[in-house]
Amino acid sequence: MPAKHKGGNSKAKEAESKQQVSAQQPPKTSETIRELEWQQYWSTNPIHKIVEEQGLNSLSPADNRTYLNLELVRNTDQVDELSKKGQRELWKQLSEANVPLRSAPRPRDDQWGRDKSGRDIGDYTPEEYAAYERKKSRISELSLDSTFFKRDRDRAHWKTKNPATGEVYTITEDDIRAEKERRQEMAALQSELYGVKSNPYANDPEWDDVVPIPQDEPEGAIAAISYAEDYAEAMGYLRAVMAVKELTRRCLRLTEHIIDLNPAHYTVWLYRFDIMKALDIPILDELEWLNEVSFEHLKNYQIWHHRQLLMDIYYPTLQSDEDAVATLAAEEHSFLTKILESDTKNYHVWGYRQYLVRKLGLWDSVDEMGSVELMISNDVRNNSAWSHRFFLVFSNPKQSTPDSLSMEHDPKVPADTIDREISYTQEKVRLAPQNQSPWNYLRGVLVKGGRPLGTVREFAESFVTSLGEGEEKEKVRSSHALDWLADIYKEAGEKEKADLCLRRLGERWDRIREGYWAYRRRQLEE
Amino acid sequence: MAYSSPSQEPHEPHQAPLVPGLFTTAAPIKDSLVTDTSLSQNAVETSCRAFLAGTQDGIRVNRHGIPSLGRERHIRFLDKSLGNLPPAFKAADASRPWIFYWCLNGLVLLGADVSKYRDGLVATARSIQNESGGFGGGFGQQSHLATTYAMVLSLAIVGGEAAYQVIDRRAMWKWLCTLKEPTGAFRLTLGGEIDLPLDLPYDSSSHTPERLDLFTGLADYVRRCQTFEGGISARPGAEAHGAYAFCALGCLAILDAPHRIFPRYLDMPRLISWLSSRQYAPEGGLSGRTNKLVDGCYSHWVGGCWPLIEAAIHGPTISTSIETPSSAAGDLYSREGLIRYILCCGQDQTKRGGMRDKPYQPSDAYHTCYVLSGLSSAQHVTRILSSDGDGIMPPWTYEVLSHLDEAQVYNEEDRVSPTDPVYGIPEGKRKDIMSYFSSRPGF
Repeated sequence: MPAKHKGGNSKAKEAESKQQVSAQQPPKTSETIRELEWQQYWSTNPIHKIVEEQGLNSLSPADNRTYLNLELVRNTDQVDELSKKGQRELWKQLSEANVPLRSAPRPRDDQWGRDKSGRDIGDYTPEEYAAYERKKSRISELSLDSTFFKRDRDRAHWKTKNPATGEVYTITEDDIRAEKERRQEMAALQSELYGVKSNPYANDPEWDDVVPIPQDEPEGAIAAISYAEDYAEAMGYLRAVMAVKELTRRCLRLTEHIIDLNPAHYTVWLYRFDIMKALDIPILDELEWLNEVSFEHLKNYQIWHHRQLLMDIYYPTLQSDEDAVATLAAEEHSFLTKILESDTKNYHVWGYRQYLVRKLGLWDSVDEMGSVELMISNDVRNNSAWSHRFFLVFSNPKQSTPDSLSMEHDPKVPADTIDREISYTQEKVRLAPQNQSPWNYLRGVLVKGGRPLGTVREFAESFVTSLGEGEEKEKVRSSHALDWLADIYKEAGEKEKADLCLRRLGERWDRIREGYWAYRRRQLEE
Repeated sequence: MAYSSPSQEPHEPHQAPLVPGLFTTAAPIKDSLVTDTSLSQNAVETSCRAFLAGTQDGIRVNRHGIPSLGRERHIRFLDKSLGNLPPAFKAADASRPWIFYWCLNGLVLLGADVSKYRDGLVATARSIQNESGGFGGGFGQQSHLATTYAMVLSLAIVGGEAAYQVIDRRAMWKWLCTLKEPTGAFRLTLGGEIDLPLDLPYDSSSHTPERLDLFTGLADYVRRCQTFEGGISARPGAEAHGAYAFCALGCLAILDAPHRIFPRYLDMPRLISWLSSRQYAPEGGLSGRTNKLVDGCYSHWVGGCWPLIEAAIHGPTISTSIETPSSAAGDLYSREGLIRYILCCGQDQTKRGGMRDKPYQPSDAYHTCYVLSGLSSAQHVTRILSSDGDGIMPPWTYEVLSHLDEAQVYNEEDRVSPTDPVYGIPEGKRKDIMSYFSSRPGF
């Protein structure tokens, strides 16, 4: 890195050594424009060089006079104050001193400025500097062309005639494309030279007619977010188009961009849906896009509401076509299966899945029940899958009472369905008896079937041995079985046995819930 | 309330802290079958046990093995969260009123003064407020029920006429009516999804018979959301979930006194059974669904159900305002377990401060608010008070007193402020805002 010249005496010495080097050797390629300018300065100001390097006193009387004359010449006011004779004398002396006719100005340390990475432009090589200058002039050129474009577009807008040809000015698609390219090139150059972030909307002629509405953060606002430039710009344009309720293609693209930046922005989703309806965008295109977004933002729930809105308008269009409904159901099913593979208990996805079952009437779909069974067999503790199974079985309109509550007996559910569910669930309980999901499910099944808990007494008892017969002998493979037995014995009027179950739960098998088990014991007394 | 000081009971380093085996050893029944659920459950148990044992390096604990509440660190964390937020917070751009609520409520719980935020909140609220009277997630965003609710709570927390005046009750009422569905439910925003209703900003002066339509069908809708497991779901048929349990109870508690309305619309034994199942050992903390992991935020969503349930079971009482020592005998859940989880596992112990989901998760404003709120409910007892009979206030109100336990395991200076059992705002703030609006006739 070449030394910087600050002009002081010590710096001047460095300059001197540099001068000597460059005097003996041809200029190196790595020379900077700063060095070049200094060379030019020294070579056109030889007397100043001596003064800066060795001081005023080291000048010969003749040089000293020349030096003072030069300083005088640089101040035209002072020259004007001299008499005519005095001026003539001055020029004569200067001419005799044989100083260079043109002298370069003394370089200032800050005259080049810094580039976007903080590098002093003075440290550029001549080649680098030439490239830098070329880019700068390219920006000016593009900027001028862009001004012409805007002028012509205004003329076209007002249907002005070209006085030379008599034709009305027009703006073609090609003109717009060229302008867009122009602005992109300008933005790229500006980013390269000055580190200015490009503003894609401001640089897009398609958005020239929109005045963005910036975030209006009041004085003293709390929890104000310092938005990144791209987000702030896009939001400014969103507010502007929403304010005038513009529902066009470009707005659709804008919503896509914002959703990509912040999918939790519910307003933009609702706006997007309005645009879709207005433009009659094919639902399948939208779904395809949505599928991608869903995988990118697994925890977002606006996505699922949007999907539901799409189905609300899509389904009626193919409702009468059985094959089309089947195809849609199959596609949705394969998509949901994939999503749930990556997030097996996602509440929003399961919520949408239930909506879809209701909407498309998938109650008896082999796919639907099959995939839930698969999920339960993959992880018998997946309570979301159990919950969905309950929904499929007990909300199926063909074999349930409409609006029957989850916790009440539904006489419309066939007995063999209840039987099937009981044996399925018992089989799953046996795999891992301390897993509460199938126990809860089983209770739900019995309630729906109007069957007393006592019908599974033996099953529940099979997980408990020698209760209350001493710490060693007593074996409990499921605290849930004990919980059940307390209710089963209570139902059968065997209060003491029920109390023992609850007591042992609080004392040993489920101590964190001691307070609850004690409450249940008090309930036994009532 | 005084901030934490080092005056806690000293614990000699060579003496092992007194932590019951319940919180340091595996549960007595463990199935051998391995699935994804059991794998993640076991991992969380292991990491929690290390924190619950009170032997983590660099964390000072009392003789019960419990670290003190890092009040000052947590206050600093929340103050910072109300300041300028970096660009990464753009994901919160559509839910800024929630940040206000979480931070302000957390600060009051910690005993900090939030009046310095009043002017800033009022200015920000006005910039977010829409013509409709509702509030969106931020400037220029469509009004949303959830963000509106959060904003009203925030204004109630900072309190004062300037804050209350921001609320345009007349416009907001009209807007709420547009969101009402025939099923009794509400849409969260025009064109938005239907969800279990969150607590509505209730004020008694508007609760007159001719306006009852906004409340019509609400309790029935809540009833239809109770699932076969006993818990409450977002909509009929879905899975029982802790957050909806609290919203459902809150919603019912607005419509009528809990001891009357809960048993009328809900199967209480099944609900209590499900709520009770949310507490796990050894973690001591609460989960949101069956077979899901404990998470600090359910200290509020599930833990916050207990004051309402216990008050409903206890029934109305006459105000004594005398704090009598209560033993663990009447409790339906383990307050000690929850408090241990919160103080041992729920605190970010670094300089950053704030509360968290579980060990090794970063703290955030959401968890800080709800973990502290859960701590408050575990440290207090809520009772329903009978009417004072003047007819201005609803015919029932609540009394929230310190829960005094001879076997208290946390330091008394770590008791946080009491909260309103329904609205989750500092106790007394509900009365202040309701008095203000009921003194203003007309609407």
